[in-house]
Amino acid sequence: MHELSIAYSLLNLAIEECIKRGFSKIQKIKITISSASNIMPEALLFSFNALKQETIAQESILYIEKIPLSGICQSCNTKITTFKPFIIECPVCHDNSLNLQIPDDLKIDEIEVT
Amino acid sequence: MKIKIAKKIFSENDKIADINRENFKRHKIFTINLMGSPGAGKTSFLEKSISLLKDKVQVGVIVGDITGIDDAMRINKLQVPVVQLNTGGACHLDANMINNSLQDLPLEEIKLLFIENVGNLVCPADFDLGENIKVTILSLTEGDDKPLKYPLIFKKSSALIINKIDLIPFLEVSIDKIKKDCLLINPTIKIFKVSCKNNEGIENWVKWIMTMIL
Repeated sequence: MHELSIAYSLLNLAIEECIKRGFSKIQKIKITISSASNIMPEALLFSFNALKQETIAQESILYIEKIPLSGICQSCNTKITTFKPFIIECPVCHDNSLNLQIPDDLKIDEIEVT
Repeated sequence: MKIKIAKKIFSENDKIADINRENFKRHKIFTINLMGSPGAGKTSFLEKSISLLKDKVQVGVIVGDITGIDDAMRINKLQVPVVQLNTGGACHLDANMINNSLQDLPLEEIKLLFIENVGNLVCPADFDLGENIKVTILSLTEGDDKPLKYPLIFKKSSALIINKIDLIPFLEVSIDKIKKDCLLINPTIKIFKVSCKNNEGIENWVKWIMTMIL
């Protein structure tokens, strides 16, 4: 349950980037989250919508894109991607030799401003 | 107008974590971020470890809790420098909290720093504190299904401590399952079985730590 502090950080980051570039209003913020991350999108959205009030982002919409985990099965060489938080078993050959890579999570991808 | 940002939202935390890391490096301190559920035995494990370690290396401790000073009082009895950090509600420690509490520790007198995180198998995994390694402690009474239910913390840890192994005759849990699942999530994780009740396995762990810091 650290979504509130994450919402606070992302809001501050977006506002800072908007002002730095000479704009005065944020319309959209797009962020990416790794599927392995422990962050709940619903809770993040709730926190964001509460915090954005009376800021230059108050009319903005937060888009959250989940990034899948990926790996190559050591047994059958299949390239695997999944939106689950984690998987152990290769969905093709059912071997347990998947070593999943966890993507760099939680980034502000882009903002839309006027 | 669209603007590409591609900035980490944790960048504020990560910046301070890097400052902590530099600070530890400058003082030649090896830092361990100890994580685990409430009641897993984090403080007992620290007490047992410190008893064996303190003649070999200068130890310091930061203990994190929502509130209270119980843990710091326990560690204080071992006569090593300790700081109690109260998060006042936060379910994890972050780099800034560590940065602030470093001011209260005699860093030049410490070579091994334990940071006992807030009891939680979820949130602490997301926050870099500037530590050298993360270690997770899991007690048998929590059940053998935990690695698969909370994979991230096991994926990010360099070592897993399986605690309370003296209770195995009374429990329907499989140590083998914990080990097997954990190794599937993280093939390089080092696993130690310990009992803080009868000291079994503590020496093995202490030996390993000594190899890490020398």
